[in-house]
Amino acid sequence: MTEEFLVAKDLRKRFGDVPAVDGVSFTIRRQEIFGLLGPNGAGKTTIIRMLSTTLEPDAGGIEIGGRSVAEDSVGVRALIGVCPQELALYPELSARDNLVFFGRMAGLGSRQAKEAAAENLELVGLLDRAKDAVRKFSGGMKRRVNLAAALMSRPHLLFLDEPTVGIDPQSRNHIFETILRLRSEGMSVLYTTHYMEEADRLCSRIGVIDHGRLISLGTPAELKSAIGPPDEVTLEQVFLNLTGRNLRD
Amino acid sequence: MLVLRQTLLIAAKDTKVFLKDPFGVAFALLFPLMFILGFSLALRNIAPEDEQLAITVATREQEGLSHRIINLLTEDELLGAVVMPYDAAVRAVEEEEIGGFVAFPADFTSGLTEGRPTKLEVVARAGDPELEAALMGFARSVASSSSNTRIALAAIAQIAGPAALPRDAASFGRGGSLLSFETEQVGPVEAFNAANFTVPGYLTMYVFFAAAMGARAIMRERVNYTLERLMSNGARRESVVAGKYLGALYLGAIQLAVLWGAGLLAFGIHLGVSPAAVIVVSALMVLTSAAFGVMLASLVHTEASASSAAVLASLLLAPIGGCWWPLFITPEWMQSLAKLTPHGWANTAFNKLMLFGAEGGDVLVEMAALAAFGLAFLVVALVRFRLSPGGP
Repeated sequence: MTEEFLVAKDLRKRFGDVPAVDGVSFTIRRQEIFGLLGPNGAGKTTIIRMLSTTLEPDAGGIEIGGRSVAEDSVGVRALIGVCPQELALYPELSARDNLVFFGRMAGLGSRQAKEAAAENLELVGLLDRAKDAVRKFSGGMKRRVNLAAALMSRPHLLFLDEPTVGIDPQSRNHIFETILRLRSEGMSVLYTTHYMEEADRLCSRIGVIDHGRLISLGTPAELKSAIGPPDEVTLEQVFLNLTGRNLRD
Repeated sequence: MLVLRQTLLIAAKDTKVFLKDPFGVAFALLFPLMFILGFSLALRNIAPEDEQLAITVATREQEGLSHRIINLLTEDELLGAVVMPYDAAVRAVEEEEIGGFVAFPADFTSGLTEGRPTKLEVVARAGDPELEAALMGFARSVASSSSNTRIALAAIAQIAGPAALPRDAASFGRGGSLLSFETEQVGPVEAFNAANFTVPGYLTMYVFFAAAMGARAIMRERVNYTLERLMSNGARRESVVAGKYLGALYLGAIQLAVLWGAGLLAFGIHLGVSPAAVIVVSALMVLTSAAFGVMLASLVHTEASASSAAVLASLLLAPIGGCWWPLFITPEWMQSLAKLTPHGWANTAFNKLMLFGAEGGDVLVEMAALAAFGLAFLVVALVRFRLSPGGP
């Protein structure tokens, strides 16, 4: 059992002439919530897609749980769960049917999938709405189902790509509590967000990425101390200091 | 085993999603029924009271064999031949009282007995091809029997000498041997059932239309990353392609069951002498249409372009392929054009089987063409299918 559950080494990916990810390396430890921050188009989602085996890197290596993504993508998929920033759900189906389907696709039997769906719906506070079609849900509820779907494969490492976009404080808080509970149960998490206070609250370490490069890495306190006393500096100031104040696409 | 399991799960999920979408169900099942009902009603007057064709005969001989033949023909009630003087028959055609007639020439008897060529005359009004065809057939039958008579006379003359021939050649064959024919009552004349054309036509159109619209649903899944989520969940690319294909097959099978069922029970269609062949053609059509939908999804890049391509392809291929009107009434160039579409092959097979009494063996070419289209679509889909925008 290694301390580091995920190891990404010198990851590179180009789309045409544009380098989307340019030599990024980092690790995620067991039971760690690792934050990946960056402006729009910085390369965060591309990194998650490479880590989650759906996009092949041009160069570099990824190991998750001691398994190489390049050599054993099927084995890696058994260890990970992905919550994309899009609501990757079937709106016509009920919350339970969505979860059961994703669970069964992950290899669970029918009964196991139903049990896991009930557990995860309870975890995200939607067990009482299990039979309702997802299209009838509010944005926050859909986000929570999106998270629950990522948990159906009972992953060791969870990728959360901006899971709190456009939802109310109550739903956001519920998602925070869920993530912290999952970590306490042994799960590692890679978390991307534009909300600096979220990263500050949840993440034990943060990597800041811009133009496809990792430009800073450390604990929130370490990042803050680079520009001033940690108690007086916010993570947002650090972020703007690192990535500049110019508008991005 | 894993691929099969994932394929079945994806197909079952797609069917569930389809059944929970009221507009999708209405589009795939109710729309075609409405079109079939509408067009069957609109076309019901094409030949509502189909009547037996009346064969009018005339002769320019004062006396002779033609009179004897005409007597025989008019005596038969089932044949219902009508005799008219030649000039009166010509006037009747000109004044559109009758569609046409068959006339014996003035030298009919002498020509027949002396071995000279003689011709039956068919006079038909322009624009009535059915009657013209019937008169031509009737004339050919009479000519054929008359030729046999002439051969018999020549044979008698050659073997026994001209003296053996009857003095009055016109009396030859008295007793009914000169011209023999049989008429058979096969049942009442049935009115044309437009549904025999409209049901397979709109079935073909909407099976392909629904499958093409399935491309939009696949694109939606690609854009909202559910396909990519499936992949990170452990689904294989081939499972997704096969699952989407199987889901489209399920939908097509539902359409077949509902629309053929409604056709048989509500519209009184007749599947012809080989219903099994109709089922085989239907199955091939569904296999091809499902492949068409998955292929379309593999070629487009956005949900909007998938919708546009589906509508455009369906509305273009349906009329070219004979879904809106029978191909056999269209000009030859249109019939050739139809062969470029799977719709055309399907409709040709359905028309042959359901309208023209063909059997399974008569539509093997159409079946093979449909299978070839389906295979080609499937190969393109397998090569080009992507799970995520810009991804694998």
